[in-house]
Amino acid sequence: MAVLDAHRTIDAVWKLESARIVAALTRMVRDVGLAEELAQDALVAALEQWPATGVPDNPGAWLTAVAKRRAVDHVRRSRRLTLQQEQLAHELEQQRDVEPEPPSGPEQDDLLRLIFISCHPVLPPEGRIALTLRLLGGLTAQEIARAFLVNEPTVARRIAAAKRTLAEERVPFTLPEGPELAGRLSSVLEVVYLIFNEGYSATSGDDLMRPGLCHEALRLGRLLAELVPDEAEVHGLLALMEIQESRSAARTGPAGEPVRLDEQNRGRWDQLRIRRGFTAMLTARRIGGTPGPYVLQAAVAVCHAQARTAEETDWEQIAALYESLARLLPTPVVQLNRAVALGRARGPQAGLVVADALAADPALRDYHLLPSVRGDLLLGLGRREEARLEFQRAAALTGNAAERAFLHRRADGIAPAAAPGPTLGGAAAEFLAREDLDAGTVRSYGQTLRRLGLALGERRPLTTVTPEEVARTFTATWGDTAAATWNRHRSAVRSFGAWAGADGLADGLARRAGPGHRTLPLGPDQLAALWSSPGPAPRELALWRLLHESAAAVRTVLALNVEDLDLEDRRARAGDGWVSWRAGTARLLPGLLAGRSRGPLFLADRRPGPARTPGPADLCPHTGRGRLSYERAEYLFKRATRELDPAGEGFTLGRLKPGS
Amino acid sequence: MRYLMTTKATDTAPDEALFAEMGRFIEELSAAGVLLATGGLEPGGILVTSSGEEITVTDGPFAEAKEAVAGFALIEVRSKEEAIELARRFRRIVGDGESVVQQVFGP
Repeated sequence: MAVLDAHRTIDAVWKLESARIVAALTRMVRDVGLAEELAQDALVAALEQWPATGVPDNPGAWLTAVAKRRAVDHVRRSRRLTLQQEQLAHELEQQRDVEPEPPSGPEQDDLLRLIFISCHPVLPPEGRIALTLRLLGGLTAQEIARAFLVNEPTVARRIAAAKRTLAEERVPFTLPEGPELAGRLSSVLEVVYLIFNEGYSATSGDDLMRPGLCHEALRLGRLLAELVPDEAEVHGLLALMEIQESRSAARTGPAGEPVRLDEQNRGRWDQLRIRRGFTAMLTARRIGGTPGPYVLQAAVAVCHAQARTAEETDWEQIAALYESLARLLPTPVVQLNRAVALGRARGPQAGLVVADALAADPALRDYHLLPSVRGDLLLGLGRREEARLEFQRAAALTGNAAERAFLHRRADGIAPAAAPGPTLGGAAAEFLAREDLDAGTVRSYGQTLRRLGLALGERRPLTTVTPEEVARTFTATWGDTAAATWNRHRSAVRSFGAWAGADGLADGLARRAGPGHRTLPLGPDQLAALWSSPGPAPRELALWRLLHESAAAVRTVLALNVEDLDLEDRRARAGDGWVSWRAGTARLLPGLLAGRSRGPLFLADRRPGPARTPGPADLCPHTGRGRLSYERAEYLFKRATRELDPAGEGFTLGRLKPGS
Repeated sequence: MRYLMTTKATDTAPDEALFAEMGRFIEELSAAGVLLATGGLEPGGILVTSSGEEITVTDGPFAEAKEAVAGFALIEVRSKEEAIELARRFRRIVGDGESVVQQVFGP
C-alpha cells in the first residue's frame, strides 16, 4: 500500500474513532489533555506501522487497544499511585487484548461526558469550540484554523489553554445531573450551533459558507440526539440545523452571492434533510414541555420548509413564534427577526416600528443586518432614498465580501427618485454663469446661494427645496444681520427662484424694514470673547471699548481729537454734547495716546499717499498719519469678529452699542 | 460529501445473527451522524426502457438478476477514505459479495 494512501486511511479512521478513544481514555486517566496525548501516541504508532503492515482488519479496535496500553503504562509509571488507580491498571491489564465493548451504555456515556467537558462553561467560547472540534470531531489544529480563518498556532494555543484550564479547575469527568444539567446542556447546544453558524453564515472571509463546519455541527447534533434522546431542545437544534442546511445549495447564486429566502429556488432545497429535520421536530414535540429557543427557531424553519412558494409562507405564524422566542431570549437580534416577520405579515410599517426601536440599541450599532432589514422595509414603503442609504450602510458594516457586493448591488439598484431635475448646486452655478450679471452681483448672489447650498445640500433636486427650508436657513444664517443684508440675500433668492422657475422659493422670507430696524447688540459672551481675543491692536480695542461704553455713533467717535479728551472725568466733547466712557476705555486710552497732545484720536495705520492728502484737521501733527476712516474701522471689526459670528461673516461696529 | 453504497444480491439468505449485527452497525452509523438513508430493494422490480419515442415498461425478474442491487446506504462523510472504511466494515459483517461506492453529486 502506498504510504500516502495509508496516511489518508489512517486519517479517516482517526476521525471516525478518535472521539470514542479519547472518551474511554479520559475515563481511565481522568485528564482529558493526557487522554488526548495518549490517543495521539496510538495514532503515531499507526502512522509508523500501517504503511508497512497494511491497515488492520479492525483499525478502530487496534487504535483503542494501543492507546489503552499506553494508558496502562502511564498509570503504572505514575509515581503517585493510588489504590484505585492500581486496581484500574490491573483491570485494564486483564482486558488489554479483548475486543472493544459494543456501543452500549458505558461507552456512550463516556462520549457524552467528553462533550460536556469540551463545552464546559469554565472555558471561553473559542476554547470550547476548538476543543469540541478537536476531541469530538477529530480535527487537527490546522483543519480548525482553516475553517475559522485563523492561524494554526492560535488554535493550538486555544486547545492547550482549554486543556490546562480543565485540569486546573479540576473539572470532573462526570455527567451533570439535576438542576445543573439544563445549564450544561445549553452550553453544549450553544457550542454546536456556533460551529454550525460559523459554517452557515461565515462572518468573515470571501465565501458565504464553509460547509465543512456545518457538517461537523450536524454530526455533533445527531450524536447528541442519540446520546441525550429525552431532551426536546437537542432535537430542536438538530431540526433547526438540518432544515437550514437543506437550503445550502439554493442560498448562494452562481457567483457566490447570497440569495434571499423568498427568492430561492425551492426545488433545490434538499428534501432528504428537510425530512430529517421534520423527524427531529416530531421527536421534540413528542417529548413535549414548554418549547425552548431551539424548538421555536426550528418551528420557524419548519414554516419556511412547508411553504411550497415564498408567497405561501405563513408569516403570521412566524411572527407569533418570534414573539414567543423574544420572551425567552429578549435579544435585539430576535427582535430584528420579529420585525422582518411582522413586515411580511402586516405590512412594512408594522415591521419598521419594531426595527426602528432597535436603532438605539448599542448591541446592534455595527450589525449589518439592521440597516439591511430597515432598507427592505423602507423600500416596501416606497422610501427609496432612505432605503438606498441603509443598504450602503449595511454594505459598509459587513465583513463578508460576497454579502458586501450583494448589498452594494441592492443600493445601486435603487434609482434616485424619478426625474429629479436640476440640483440646487447645479442650478445655482448656471444662474451665476449668466452673462447679464455684473461681477458685483455675481459675488453677492454667489454668497447667498453658496450658503443655501451648504445648508440644504448642493445635490438636492431643486424641486424638492421648500420655502420653509429656505426661511429656516435664512433665520439661522442671517437672522440677526442688518435689514439691508437680510434683504440683499432675500432678493438674491427671489431672483434665482424666478430664473429657475421656482418662484415660491423666497415666499417664506419677509422683507425687513430698512433704517428703522435696530441691529441687535452683541451678547455678553460675545463681548467677553471680543475683549479677551489676542488678535486686535491696542487702537482697535480702545475704539471698540469706547463705542461700547459710550454708546455713541461710530462716526462721532472716530471724529474725536486728542485735545477734546477729559481723561480725568472720562469724557470728551463731541460737537454740542459729550462722549463719556468707563474704566475699560480709561485703562486703554493712555497707551493709545502714547504722549500725543493734539490731532485725531484714532489714526490710520500709514501715512496718506501724496494723491490723497487729508485736511489739516484730520492729520496727526506728531506722526503725520491721517484719521482712521469709517470704512477701514468697519472692515477691521468685521474681520476680527468673523469667528464670533455664527454666520461666519463678522459683525458691524453698530452692534457694539449696548441694548437699551 | 455524500456517497451511495449499493450492494449486490447474494445466494445466501441472511441469518438472525447477521441481522442483529447489521442492526447495531446501522445504529452506530446513525449515531455518528453518518448514515442519511438506507434500505433494502425488492429483487426484480420494474424495467422502464425508452427507445426513440417508445417507452416500454417490463416487470421483473430479469435474466441478469445477479447483477441487481439488493440494498443501499446513503452516507455523509468527510472523505472518500471514510466512505471506503465504512464499506470495509459493512463487508466484514455481511461476508462474501460486492458493494459499489459512488460519490453523489448535488442536490
